Amino acid sequence: MNSKYWNEEIETMPRKQLEKLQVERLKKTVEIAMGSKFYAPKFKELGITPESIKSVEDIKRFPFTTKNDLRATYPFGIKSIPLEKVVRLHSSSGTTGNPTVILHSQKDLDQWADAMARSMYCIGLRNTDIIQNTSGYGMFTGGLGIQYAAERLGALTVPAGAGNSKRHVKFITDFGTTALHCIPSYATRLAAAFEEEGIDPRNTTVHTLIIGAEPHSEAQRKRIEEIWGAKAYNNFGMSEMCGPGVAIECQEQNGMHIWEDNYIVEILDPVTLEPVPEGELGELVLTTLNREAMPLFRYRTRDLTRILPGDCPCGRTHKRLARFQGRSDDMMIVKGVNIYPIQIEKILMQFPELASDYLITIETVGDNDEMTVEAELAQATDDFSMLQNLTKEITRRLKDEILLTPRVKLVGKGVIPQSDGKAKRVNDLRNNH
Amino acid sequence: MKTIKQISIFLENQRGKLSDILTALKNENIEIQAASVADTNEFGILRLITSDQKKAAQLLSDQGNLVSMNEVLAIQVEPDTASFTDAIDALTAGGCTISYLYTFHKDGKLVLIIRPANSLEIAERIATEKGLTLIQGWE
Repeated sequence: MNSKYWNEEIETMPRKQLEKLQVERLKKTVEIAMGSKFYAPKFKELGITPESIKSVEDIKRFPFTTKNDLRATYPFGIKSIPLEKVVRLHSSSGTTGNPTVILHSQKDLDQWADAMARSMYCIGLRNTDIIQNTSGYGMFTGGLGIQYAAERLGALTVPAGAGNSKRHVKFITDFGTTALHCIPSYATRLAAAFEEEGIDPRNTTVHTLIIGAEPHSEAQRKRIEEIWGAKAYNNFGMSEMCGPGVAIECQEQNGMHIWEDNYIVEILDPVTLEPVPEGELGELVLTTLNREAMPLFRYRTRDLTRILPGDCPCGRTHKRLARFQGRSDDMMIVKGVNIYPIQIEKILMQFPELASDYLITIETVGDNDEMTVEAELAQATDDFSMLQNLTKEITRRLKDEILLTPRVKLVGKGVIPQSDGKAKRVNDLRNNH
Repeated sequence: MKTIKQISIFLENQRGKLSDILTALKNENIEIQAASVADTNEFGILRLITSDQKKAAQLLSDQGNLVSMNEVLAIQVEPDTASFTDAIDALTAGGCTISYLYTFHKDGKLVLIIRPANSLEIAERIATEKGLTLIQGWE
């Protein structure tokens, strides 16, 4: 295969045609989900039938599905097909209540492996590569999900599994591993393990890292690429949608293409649940289009992202998701305005005069919500008017971003309280909270 | 340049903050010769001239304060209002504007600590030309 694409027809499909495919698959998925005790009554109530679906816009008629729904129906309450056709399940840990279970038919597994193989191909991996997986092989989808995909790609796959960095170092060295799948923090730890052995990770055969399952910044990616002397690609998956293979960056490294032949993508305001204007930040809501054991409709991922505007030079027509910017659960409503701490953080980080700590306090003063942003100064100065101007400028820029005027307070080092080594970002002291 | 070193400490409006700083200096037997606090509702800057500026700056920085050290003019005049006025008039006549000023008495004289709004170098030259007595050093 010399092509740039794993599946050129699908990956470069014109938008109109892609949407037609989505509609067909949505109809089919509705038909399958009529067999779900969870969805069937909801569909009936809302008048949702395969025939009633005319366009992708019809997705707005569907009910939402949340993690709580998965917990409440634990373990098999949402399944759409008989259990004898289900061949595997994956499950979350359930540290906060019931675990969640996701069921897969053989067809689901095949489709999943194909989607992740497509993702690997998209970042330049081929059947000549040796792919080592550092994810745990078990209930976590990062193990088997990557394994089957790498095999589907035709690569030599090293199922080394989680932990034991020394063994990873040995395998990479002995087998000539060319690609690693790992969480970003492990990429750094494994590099340190190499250095302990006196080996510069840049001198290994590894040329590509697939990183994901853990939020990380562009700066972190750059650092990983530098210490490994390799390319690192952001990969997005979640067990509810299958696992890894939902979206991946192409070699442009500018946004993750979400495979829209498999999912309908919505970016919604987490409060009104209405679509946000094109390109704006909102909650990612996904509908599966290519799954049968347990299709999910309008699943609220709680991840905040936006769709990058414009076409990608790589030629793929599937929408690109921006790097995730936190969780919709972090949202505050102040004076009727939806505000995410990340918006404030983003502005503060633009001021070199500030250090990294900040604290947002919201209080009720009279009948009003008032917001105070305390920002830590990076350096002392004798220049009083500089500090006053800085305060003014931060206030102005925050107002432009969040549309209300916070009180900005510059503070010295160590004033912002820390808890468990992690800085607390929001202190909501309002009466009704 | 004939200037002296001043330390500036960022003060958030917090009960006990000033006391913490003074206590630290006291425990190390550092004497304060002059102090000035400029403040808004939200924050302040404490400016200090002490018996050991280097040590004081290090100590307060180790204590977790934001500390900076900078140069200011120290003009010595007779301890009367007339001499004070003459000094300021001389600077003003030379084209120097003042960002802030505070004073203290030392060895029977009045010392004016001045941070010019424009260039420190130009202010120093004006002061010298006008025959004002500039103090240099005191670490």
